[in-house]
Amino acid sequence: MPYFETSDEWYEQSSLLIKARPTSARVTSKYTVLKPTPSKIKKREKYLVKHPNTASASDSTAVPPTLANSEAPTATFLLKTYDPVSGTCLQYETNKAAEVGRLIGNLSRLGRHMAALPEIKEDQSAAAAGEDIATPSLEGQIKLEDTSEQKPSGGGGGKKKKKGKK
Amino acid sequence: MAGDHLSNDEFFTRLVNLFELNRKKGHGSVILTQKRLAFESNADVPSPTKVLDDPLWDTHPENPLPLIIRASNTRSTERPGTDRKNVDKIKLSTVVQPDQLDAFYARYAEACKAGMSGLKKRDKKKKKKDKKKKKGVD
Repeated sequence: MPYFETSDEWYEQSSLLIKARPTSARVTSKYTVLKPTPSKIKKREKYLVKHPNTASASDSTAVPPTLANSEAPTATFLLKTYDPVSGTCLQYETNKAAEVGRLIGNLSRLGRHMAALPEIKEDQSAAAAGEDIATPSLEGQIKLEDTSEQKPSGGGGGKKKKKGKK
Repeated sequence: MAGDHLSNDEFFTRLVNLFELNRKKGHGSVILTQKRLAFESNADVPSPTKVLDDPLWDTHPENPLPLIIRASNTRSTERPGTDRKNVDKIKLSTVVQPDQLDAFYARYAEACKAGMSGLKKRDKKKKKKDKKKKKGVD
């Protein structure tokens, strides 16, 4: 039941699993907001006391914000690919809002595997025979995204920055 | 269950409500699942002998198959001494046809981005910069 460090890694392994077991494998994503437990609040307060450097700016202005921070709810987004037949379970967890868009993009690509829609190379023949005229252009876009995302993480970093600037 | 599937449009409006409920409550989970829909296409499933011949038939079906997308929240029951209330489990499900996948996921991403507002935003660095600037001015 491994947790992956990066979403790319998770996507890669998940796509392999779904290709191997397209009927039984499923992808579950869970968005959770939790109020911290009293012990967690204490822990955070202790951390703030021990590491005043990180919160120095807020300390100098006022104490309440740090208290509010220590009681802030924790929100996480957990992605899980599970295949009940083989018992494989691949997980990735994040708490960054910026990643949600990319992760849903991954879900959509995994969805294509599940739906047995053709992948990049087979697209042309299938699109020619297919009912939809609009799909080829979309598939082309996906192709571009695929190549750009599979390159070393530097490319992803660039994307992040762009989003942040907006 | 099969009769309960919502249309895609209906699903999205209900999904947005689900996220909204979660936000009002201040805690809780929203669970989303996607899976190949294999039950309703049973007519297309090859006969057992064919399955024996080719045990991996499901890795290359003749036609693209629809997906089923499910969404739910978590049930909670009242408990003395806490602020928990009785909340029924809300279950939503919809079937997405293969030719609508891309359009569906575009809307799905929008709904999720808007709904998952509790996650950490990216603007922390900006705040720090502002504070530094203020200090410099002081």
